Amino acid sequence: MSPARVLTAETAHGFDRLEAQAQRILAAFGSTGHEPVAPAAIQPAAVFLDAIGEALRARTYVFTDPGGAELCLRPDLTVPVCRLHLERDPAGARYARYCYNGTAFRFQPADAGIAHPREFRQAGIEQIGNRTGVTPERADAECLAIVLDALAAAGLSPARLVITAGDLGLAQAILAAVDMPARWRRRLAGLHGRPAAFRAELARLSTTPGSQAAHLPSALLDQLAATHDTPTARADQLAIVTAHLEAHGLDIQGARTLDDLATSLAAIARDAVARPLDAPVAAVIERYAALSCPLTELAAALTDLAKDAGIETGMETGIDIAAAIASVETRTRELRSTGADPGRIAFSAEFGRSLAYYTGFMFEIGLPGEPRTSPIAGGGRYDGLMRACGAPIDVPAVGAAIHTERLLAALVGGRP
Amino acid sequence: MSVRLNPALNPPAPTPGAVGSGRQLINTTVIETSRIVLAVPSKGRLMDDSLAALAASGMTVRRPANARGYRGTCDEFPEVEIAFVSAAEIARHILSGAAHFGITGEDLVREYGADDETRAEIVRPLGFGHADVVVAVPDYWVDIATMADLDRLADVFRPRYGRPLRVATKYLNLTRRAFARHGVSDYRLVESSGATEGTPAAGTADLIVDITSTGETLRANNLRVLTDGIILKSQAMLFRSRSAPLADGAASIADAVAARLTAAAVVV
Repeated sequence: MSPARVLTAETAHGFDRLEAQAQRILAAFGSTGHEPVAPAAIQPAAVFLDAIGEALRARTYVFTDPGGAELCLRPDLTVPVCRLHLERDPAGARYARYCYNGTAFRFQPADAGIAHPREFRQAGIEQIGNRTGVTPERADAECLAIVLDALAAAGLSPARLVITAGDLGLAQAILAAVDMPARWRRRLAGLHGRPAAFRAELARLSTTPGSQAAHLPSALLDQLAATHDTPTARADQLAIVTAHLEAHGLDIQGARTLDDLATSLAAIARDAVARPLDAPVAAVIERYAALSCPLTELAAALTDLAKDAGIETGMETGIDIAAAIASVETRTRELRSTGADPGRIAFSAEFGRSLAYYTGFMFEIGLPGEPRTSPIAGGGRYDGLMRACGAPIDVPAVGAAIHTERLLAALVGGRP
Repeated sequence: MSVRLNPALNPPAPTPGAVGSGRQLINTTVIETSRIVLAVPSKGRLMDDSLAALAASGMTVRRPANARGYRGTCDEFPEVEIAFVSAAEIARHILSGAAHFGITGEDLVREYGADDETRAEIVRPLGFGHADVVVAVPDYWVDIATMADLDRLADVFRPRYGRPLRVATKYLNLTRRAFARHGVSDYRLVESSGATEGTPAAGTADLIVDITSTGETLRANNLRVLTDGIILKSQAMLFRSRSAPLADGAASIADAVAARLTAAAVVV
């Protein structure tokens, strides 16, 4: 470890300037009705580690306190704000808007460079719950617009910025519109934001969808396949799998249930005899996955895609993604009404964020020429996170954070 | 000062006079660092095999009459101090520079040293202590045979059970790297310091990453290795630290020790 790296990690450069800048950002957040909150830096590890995915967990400082509790230094402030909201409203669904400015902590490898200190500062907003009469698209647009306004208040003109957006909800809508088994849809949707894995799985489903059955006895597969689409399918599958386990002396010792195992094996048996994904369907998905255009051109591109899909798949009216196209149009219109320029937002179907909890529209804001790994701000919709933090139901939520040290570096020139 | 922290940053050698006066002042430091520490496993089969490997290289190790002593000597190299420590400690000592040489499992050095190639080098593999670091699942998971299957399971596991798959291991870093290589992303590591193979049955984890030589313990616990689940084929190796400080003059002795240990590779 070089001495320079230690200095970078330990020293908040220009702390007074950072704080002055944060105050301008918080003032912008406050003027749009966000309540300032200061959640604890030390958080219970379990919630975080379950919610954020192992990629970020590997970079989270986890420790055991003298009382034996497993704790962590917060790797971001979104989960702490969700927990704070739940303390106030255990049902979680009450509408609230919060803003914050504080430190977050992430382990960085020795060669991470000075744009990635292990202790860094974030200023951000979170909107939790539904506001009456406001569509999710409006909430998405407001979130992005408020961040752009805050950046402008800090002195960074929107004209200097590169804004990239993706949309997991849209990907799911495309998958829902084409003909394939529901389990394949779930699988492909789960690979959103991992383009190489997505393409590999699409290729597998298009050629050898039964490959997972290769190691299983054909007698078991045949028995399970015979149950498909029969009225007693579930009960028969449970009996077949139970008999298989008993015959091989296998006991259920662990969290996975017999029901889970039978569901999985039945799906594998089904895949073993399934026709591969139709080439025209795979082509539609591939074409969507390759889509990259300004947000203002997205609705038209999707309309073309839907129309051409009809020709390719032989369906007379094409695929029905009208609701998804309307949603894109609404969000684009709402962005325009907030004063943001959607023509400057680059949509990419493959765009996903490294945090596991995003569920819909998501975005990152950076400078031209800077690596995508060092965005100045980022955010999006995370409708599943409140539940992961302990809410009894899914609660719609959208939020974003500004990496204030990178922002300051962008403003004063040079790097942090 | 005569302590070398990093050859690249080392200041010019002091004049003889300065060394003399320096020795008076930092006497204990000089005594510490003029020695070359060779760390050897402190007990069991691993210790016996290690001492045999050193003997085959022409290095006769003596442990003090008090069999519990943790410091020994080497007849052929009076400057070499033999440190008897646990295999895990040896890996840490090599990476931190507390030992100049050490015999321990490759698994431990790879686990503790994310950037191990800058901090330690392999002098040679020793041909004993063979064991694999493997991904093992409960054998009733008949639907899961490969890492790709595991990735598919991870995606449906969270919606069904409301939590990610839990993987118990003491090899946190090896596991992360291997799972990332196979594209498995939605899981959670549970650190386990012992009896890892019991965690799936106990319900504290769903699957494990652990070391196995014969697979017997895994089978006894109703666990099965995935077909592509061998993360590392490990064995005992002789390592040389790249971060251990050397007193003036000790570097040439360390090189002589390394030459002796390396030369044996040809003989053996």
